[in-house]
Amino acid sequence: MKRIITLVVNGEQREVAVEPDLTLLEVLREDLGLTGTKKACNQGECGACTVLLDGKPVSSCLVLAVRAHGKAVVTVEGLAENGRLHPLQEAFVTYGAVQCGFCTPGVLLVAKALLDTNPHPTAQEIEQAIAGNICRCTGYVKIIEAITAVAQNQNI
Amino acid sequence: MRLPKFQYLEPATLAETIPLLMEHQGRSKVIAGGTDLLVALKQRLHTPAYLISLSNLAALKGIREEDGMVTIGPLTTLEGVSAAPLIREKLPGLAQAAWEVGSPLLRPMATIGGNLCLDNRCRFYNQSLFWRSARQPCCKAGGKVCHVTNKENACFSTYSGDVAPVLIALQAEIKLVGSQGERILPLEQFYTGDGRRPNLIGGGEAELLTEIRIPLSSHTGCMYKKYRLRDSIDFPVVGVAVALRLDQPQGICREAKIVITGVGSRPVEATQAGEKLTGREMRPEFILAASETAAAEIHPVRTDQVGPSFKRHLVRVMVAEIIRELGGVDR
Amino acid sequence: MTGYSVVGKGLPRIDGPEKVTGKAIFTVDVDLPGMLYGKILRSPHPHAKILNINTEAAERLPGVKAVLTGHDVADVRYAFVDTPRYPADEQPLAVDKVRYIGDEVAVVAAVSEAIAEEALSLIKVEYEILPAVFTPEEAIRPDAPLLHESQFTGTSAWEEWGAAKRVKDYRSESSLNNLSGRTFVAFGDVEQGFREADHVREDKFQTAATAHCAMEPHGAVASYEPVTGKLHLWLSTMGIFLKRYNLSRALKLPISRVRVRHSYVGGAFGGKIDVFPYEFCAAYLSMKLGRPVKIELDREEVFTTTRQRHPITIHIKTGVKKDGTIVAQDVKVIADNGGYRGSGPIVVFLCHGFSFPVYKVPNYRYEGLAVYTNNPIRGPQRGHGAPQIRYAIDSQLDLIARDLGLDPVAVLLKNIRHKGDVLPNGDRLNSCGLQECIEGTAAGINWSSKRWQFAAAQPLGRFRRGVGISLCAMFSGAMYYPFASAAMVKLHDDGSATLYTGTQEMGQGSYTTLAQVLAEELGIGLEDVRVVAGDTELTPVDLGSFLSGGALVTGNAVKLAAADARRQLLECAAEILGVGMEQLATRGKKVFVREDPQRSISFAQAIQASVFKRNGNPIIGTGSYKGYPETNRYPSLAKGKGLFTSAYGFAAQAAEVEVDTVTGRVRLLNAVTYHDCGFPLNKTIVEGQVQGCVSMGAGQALSEEIVLEKGQLFNPSFLTYRLPLAPDTPESLDKTANTLEPNGPFGAKEVGEGSVAGMLGAVANAVHDAIGVRINSLPITPEKVLRALEQKQKAVR
Repeated sequence: MKRIITLVVNGEQREVAVEPDLTLLEVLREDLGLTGTKKACNQGECGACTVLLDGKPVSSCLVLAVRAHGKAVVTVEGLAENGRLHPLQEAFVTYGAVQCGFCTPGVLLVAKALLDTNPHPTAQEIEQAIAGNICRCTGYVKIIEAITAVAQNQNI
Repeated sequence: MRLPKFQYLEPATLAETIPLLMEHQGRSKVIAGGTDLLVALKQRLHTPAYLISLSNLAALKGIREEDGMVTIGPLTTLEGVSAAPLIREKLPGLAQAAWEVGSPLLRPMATIGGNLCLDNRCRFYNQSLFWRSARQPCCKAGGKVCHVTNKENACFSTYSGDVAPVLIALQAEIKLVGSQGERILPLEQFYTGDGRRPNLIGGGEAELLTEIRIPLSSHTGCMYKKYRLRDSIDFPVVGVAVALRLDQPQGICREAKIVITGVGSRPVEATQAGEKLTGREMRPEFILAASETAAAEIHPVRTDQVGPSFKRHLVRVMVAEIIRELGGVDR
Repeated sequence: MTGYSVVGKGLPRIDGPEKVTGKAIFTVDVDLPGMLYGKILRSPHPHAKILNINTEAAERLPGVKAVLTGHDVADVRYAFVDTPRYPADEQPLAVDKVRYIGDEVAVVAAVSEAIAEEALSLIKVEYEILPAVFTPEEAIRPDAPLLHESQFTGTSAWEEWGAAKRVKDYRSESSLNNLSGRTFVAFGDVEQGFREADHVREDKFQTAATAHCAMEPHGAVASYEPVTGKLHLWLSTMGIFLKRYNLSRALKLPISRVRVRHSYVGGAFGGKIDVFPYEFCAAYLSMKLGRPVKIELDREEVFTTTRQRHPITIHIKTGVKKDGTIVAQDVKVIADNGGYRGSGPIVVFLCHGFSFPVYKVPNYRYEGLAVYTNNPIRGPQRGHGAPQIRYAIDSQLDLIARDLGLDPVAVLLKNIRHKGDVLPNGDRLNSCGLQECIEGTAAGINWSSKRWQFAAAQPLGRFRRGVGISLCAMFSGAMYYPFASAAMVKLHDDGSATLYTGTQEMGQGSYTTLAQVLAEELGIGLEDVRVVAGDTELTPVDLGSFLSGGALVTGNAVKLAAADARRQLLECAAEILGVGMEQLATRGKKVFVREDPQRSISFAQAIQASVFKRNGNPIIGTGSYKGYPETNRYPSLAKGKGLFTSAYGFAAQAAEVEVDTVTGRVRLLNAVTYHDCGFPLNKTIVEGQVQGCVSMGAGQALSEEIVLEKGQLFNPSFLTYRLPLAPDTPESLDKTANTLEPNGPFGAKEVGEGSVAGMLGAVANAVHDAIGVRINSLPITPEKVLRALEQKQKAVR
């Protein structure tokens, strides 16, 4: 049986009628058209589907959409504001932290959550924060560099 | 892989929850954080008609200390447990274990209660429906034979939760609430050792885990170490928790509890190894003896990609390492 | 270093903003009105005869629109390798039997993914189980069951392209069962060479099957317009024109009726070039139903059915002089290519192709066998043969250096090839930075102070460190028909340009580097270039982004197109300025008279003038290039003859590891790579390619392995297939040797693949240096390390 849930997605209130067996990932991609959130393993093992749920990074493929009712969801589409890239987005482009781009949305959100709570993380803290996000293209080197640059407020 | 169809029930209170568990016993699953359950549902390891969500039971969340006892609500997230100042200060071994579960993307959702209720795992069982269709269903999936051992009517699936070993070493108790009322029992009694139904409530019983209590006086030091093949995402190959009660720093051991995960159908306490230490000073030869004994007390089988003798070796090494560190003994 | 203003710099990628904002559309993001969802029923058996398939119940399920089985498409055959010698052996859906677990048996189209999944469970297939083989050694035995008994029918793609028809079945040339490909090459006199050697060593190495792990799962969206007869496809692919060719042929549609449209590809690494049944099925279902159909594979299907790296057993016998000079080498490889041929004949050819360009070996014999087994199919994966063969050869060379008490770095330097060398097949090394790479790498890893081999005694702590080095070679595109690329450059009234290229952006940065090539050649900025790519209707042909041909082949085509546009631009400017073209120069988007710089017009003015004066012609430049221009000596897979590539990329890589001798865990602490890429068109992108290669190579050296038991894949997930995570990232030094390849655009050649290969040998050699014992199979797991240490201790006692 469908039920109506209310989500605050990227600052905007959205109502969706969902079956209980839908994941938040499926609702974001299929009902709300927010395809920036990626499905890569669908089992919570890769981080590509990461969104911020009430500020915390979670694998949206393991969240029942009905359980996100009343919560704030931030997806990659919500990072840039007023046509301006978020500093992390800017740094990811500048430092070459993006290659194929499929893991990028998830990594960006994890990085945002990290810097929101810990503005000046060590390299090790960065590695640990993104330890649930798999990237096959970059070997993580430039991702770590980009996050470090933002944390150190370097000119990017 | 989509989730199977189910009815979603979201009781508002504990009092509403128990009757639902009763009513739908055998065809329902309880969902706390959902990080393990949803994968199992996608793989069609379970196809419950009802999912009973605990997310509204606010009373089952939170951490508090009173009368030398730390009480943790089972719906507290693993991230919450690992970050709580009280736990970090007084039960660092528990904080460590909670921090080492899964990946940073799972810990904000996964709960400590859910982790205690983690189903046993096996390389023949934790696979998709298609994968499993290549052979007869195994014992754990309702069939007759265990594919790991080729034995009939026995399941050798492995318990691989990180938190239970620490809590058992700390002599934690849990409260279970059911239609008959509540009962309090030591956590180790929660685990059955039967791979098919590894704990008292995981098989769909009409009882709920509602509280975890940890006495602070049981130990003077506790530590958890996890060996996994990568530093994130992976389950433990082996995890070892040790709680020691020393009469004084680097003094004589009054009590030692050594509990190991990843090596059997339940969290395995190496009781003889613990006894080897009891009444002893923290000296290398006693530590060595205890670690050798611990390695001999476990009987791992090949339920993941790692062989039993490697696990035994790791247990020997890790038990000794932890005791040395807790006892302040140099190598 | 040179006076370039656009190429050579680490400019930000032009696809970056779309990708960081979530706006980049990948195939799996394509959503069309009325779209249906397809799901594939697969064989749970490694080898079985299909007796009967009952689809009635599935067809009756509400929401199901079609169910297809092999009988509906029995006459279709295709394959990545489809030559007269090795004709296509794959069919979209199994007709008579299944040959591996995961083989496609039926496909369903339904109004939702959930209904399609449910419908699969209603299809009943009756199988008769057949005996199966799981190792190539078993499979070639005379009593082994045959996977493919009958003749392959039909005309191969190569015959369609004009290659001579072969009458004889290649299998009649050998007594071995289940052979799917064989390469044999010899030069010099290998037996005489061994007689002349001072030291001869024989070793056997074994590599593991590994997964590509592109983060985007494979998918296809097909939309057929019944009225116009046109099929639109969105594919997760590395080569839109190769896919178009193969699919149009399989679907019996004229090539002009098939359009592969632009979508980004979320990583490929070799795993998205073969034609896959799901692609054919999506297209066929859409044609049958007149509605769009999407098929997206789940992660387990990706692991199981979209190809893996070939596990290969490599026997090497090498003879050397006392000083380490190689005098003879005899290499035998046997590769398991699974239930279908995949790229079997290519990988055993490439194991030779990536072996012989590195060392001068006067007497050499190579035999490679690719063999059918009832395992999953193997195909190209980053390096394609190079990781396996480089690991084996350089591991053995490290052992030989130890035997002789020589420094491996000195042995490498003694044997490597140099610029100007002509290889036995006729390929000439117009650039070769091996020496520079080795020297840079050895310095970068602190070789002389960190190599324990020469220390009197290594400290006996729990954690032991060691260093190792290995080399690699890679083609820059290959010389097989029609490995060619064309490009078009259209100029605009405002002085900017649009590049039309058939390349596909899959993470490698091709849109950016090609735009840089255009900008440099034409004399504009990167911000002045827009790229239209990845669409077979809008762009000229480009066979695909594989075999590392992107920079050299496509890059040259783009450079020629830009030069053509520039010539036209200058023509127009010369007319306006009233001087000869030869008197003109350009700077800052202006054309001026060299002797009188005041006399100038802007690019925009010149282009506008062209529009006005030339009946609206805005200036369109074209260019085309193929792997080895001006020759028709195509390489032979079977004999290794013909020319292979016009430029070899090279690299030297060193690793420093720390081995925990108590738990067996190996950590890669430092990785140093010097890659001879000729010239880095984009410094940041080149570094990114190398870093990605290093990570993949390190993973495959230490933890990655497809685990199979009786053809069943036990770790089809990111939880159990252990590719590196962020905490595994080593300190890395990634440098290039800029040898300026004369055949490459601005001197550029391969960079995206080779550096996987050197990591395997570098890590294996470093582990040996650290613990004094050799592990002859990959990956080097903690269990193997402990076992090796135990055996070493036993041997000491």
